[in-house]
Amino acid sequence: MENDYINIILADDDRDDRLFFTDAFEELRMNTKVNTYNDGVELMDFLNSDDAIMPNVLFLDLNMPKKSGIECLNEIKASGKMSEIAIAIYSTSASEEDIEETFVLGANIYIKKPSDFKALKKVLAEVVSINWQYHTNSLNKDNFLLRM
Amino acid sequence: MENKNFFKSSLFIKIILLGSLFVILLIGGFTYKHISNLTNSTKVVVYTYEVNVELERLNSYLIDAESVHRKYTLTKDTLYLAPSLIARKKINNSFLQLKELTIVNIKQQENLIILSKLIDNLFLNFDKTNRLVKNNEISTETFKTLFFEEKVILDAIRRQVNEIIELENKLLKDRQKEYQSDLQFTPLFFYFVLLMTLVIIVMSLNKINIDLIKIKAKNDQLLIFKESTNQSEIIGKHGNWVWHINANIFTYSDNLYRLLGEEPQSFEANFDNFLKFVHPEDVDRLTKDLDRMIVNEELPFVSYRIVQKDGSTKYLKAYAKAFFSIDGQKRLLGITSDITDEIENFLALEERNLELERNNKELSGFNYVASHDLQEPLRKIQTFISRLEDRESDKFSEAGLQYLERINSAIKRMRTLIDDLLQFSRTTKPDKVFVVADMNELFENAKQDVAVLILEKKAKITCDLLPNAQVITFQIQQLFLNLLSNSLKYIQTGKAPIIKINYETVKAKDDPNLVKATKSIYHKITFADNGIGFEQKYSEKIFDLFNRLHNKQDYSGTGIGLSICKKIIENHQGFIFAKGKINVGAVFTIYLPVN
Repeated sequence: MENDYINIILADDDRDDRLFFTDAFEELRMNTKVNTYNDGVELMDFLNSDDAIMPNVLFLDLNMPKKSGIECLNEIKASGKMSEIAIAIYSTSASEEDIEETFVLGANIYIKKPSDFKALKKVLAEVVSINWQYHTNSLNKDNFLLRM
Repeated sequence: MENKNFFKSSLFIKIILLGSLFVILLIGGFTYKHISNLTNSTKVVVYTYEVNVELERLNSYLIDAESVHRKYTLTKDTLYLAPSLIARKKINNSFLQLKELTIVNIKQQENLIILSKLIDNLFLNFDKTNRLVKNNEISTETFKTLFFEEKVILDAIRRQVNEIIELENKLLKDRQKEYQSDLQFTPLFFYFVLLMTLVIIVMSLNKINIDLIKIKAKNDQLLIFKESTNQSEIIGKHGNWVWHINANIFTYSDNLYRLLGEEPQSFEANFDNFLKFVHPEDVDRLTKDLDRMIVNEELPFVSYRIVQKDGSTKYLKAYAKAFFSIDGQKRLLGITSDITDEIENFLALEERNLELERNNKELSGFNYVASHDLQEPLRKIQTFISRLEDRESDKFSEAGLQYLERINSAIKRMRTLIDDLLQFSRTTKPDKVFVVADMNELFENAKQDVAVLILEKKAKITCDLLPNAQVITFQIQQLFLNLLSNSLKYIQTGKAPIIKINYETVKAKDDPNLVKATKSIYHKITFADNGIGFEQKYSEKIFDLFNRLHNKQDYSGTGIGLSICKKIIENHQGFIFAKGKINVGAVFTIYLPVN
């Protein structure tokens, strides 16, 4: 059954980050299915395809070639069928401008990539287990950036 | 005002002139009248004498007649009758003469009538006696009576003549008296009038002289003013022009011609000639402005370009305003100035600003990329090391594990450096919002950030009550944090840190540190600690970027923290000073302007 597991997508141009990401979920042993895309164009091509299954959580890197995370976020929020996806910004930096912009554009949470694998696992586990309905309702600028 | 006085004084002179003319005419009139009076008096004297002479003549004729009559009476010779007739004729002539002479005097006429009757009686008497003599009736009573009557009549005639003479003499006397008084009064009057005229003329001359001196002084001033205006126009690169609206005449100052690149007064001043110099693209606009100027009689600030004959383009700015002269003439006074330098400077400045903006943008872009892109490989190295430590630690030797730890600490240091650099570049950014904030709160926040360290080092921190101030809150908080971290970092081994924060307000003129201050009152906050201190000679150097006084092994730090403090203080137009003594402590004094 498709709905038995949590469908997770990561769009990141960095090979190492994709590796950490999939390794972390492997070690977490949660009921998740992880797909990764190498840039914004690949991601949007998939999401726009007719038979695409919408993920439960989309992890979006900001700095990507061809199509940036911000552009993807814009397109997703503008499209009807994708607007329900929970979007977690997954970026190296946590600059005020980026946080502000993605919050305004409607992202659900902002994660600064941790520099420790244990910390990474903890963050991902936390994000995946968030009750998005509840989180979105009480979302504000202070709890938008995930602090561990 | 001065001009008004001048006009007043000119009117005054006119009045004096008219007054003098009037007085001179008066003198003329009086003189004429006096001279004619004198002539009249002379005539009267002459006439009186003529009357007297005639009367004497009449008298002598009468005596002649009487003597002839007597002779006839005595001699009865008719030879004497003829002269008697002649005497009678002469008397009549003389009488006629007298009548004519006294024609204006009624009293004398009356006297003459009486005289004439007396003379008639006398001759009647003569006739009667003559007849008696002829008839030889001399000894008769009648003759005697007649003879006696004759004597009576003659006496009466003499009396009458005397009376006339007396009357004439009296008249003469009166007239002489009048004439005398006239004569006495005349020189005094002349003298007085002459004196008056002289006084008036001297006064007028004096007034004219004073006015002339004033006018000369004014003229001198005007000359100086004109010359200084010329000079200032040349130095200030502006020229003036006047439009005499009523006469539709223009005058241009010399320097206006120079602004156009022409010799002064080398062409006729008017719109058309001026428009020949105006840049073709600006002609329409300026013409419209000038048309409006003709209607409104005012020219608001206009700027336009001109092309000089040598082809160089200049920027001019003009302004004009209506002005009424004292005599009611309406004029438009205009100033035109050459703003080419300003425009060129402005353009150069704008260019430079754009360049700076570009540089700034590049720099901030570089900062972002540096901090963001440098973080990424670091983070990955750290993550890979954490993977190694987690999964492969049993495969490492003791030394290998130590190397891993060294790598980790090097990465941490690198990360701190990048974070601090990022912080520094953020401090430089121009988007600063000043708000009134409670500095106690900012200090507490900063203290919270280092709460763990404070507990760890058992630090004692005392702080005065701080004021509210207009600040960039996150920067001031950063400043407090950096100063606190500094004091908590450079501590003496085995000595619990004591940090004292004091506050007071100072006047710039009372504080030797505030010689360069631009504001008058400052908040003065001092951070004093009992740490390792520093040598006073480094008191300025420690604020330089990347400057460190200690090696990395002894004290961690990037050499950016205090540079950030200095930058923050500069952003607030304040000052920061450091004072240190080795192994005693350091004191950082910050000054922030009170609004």
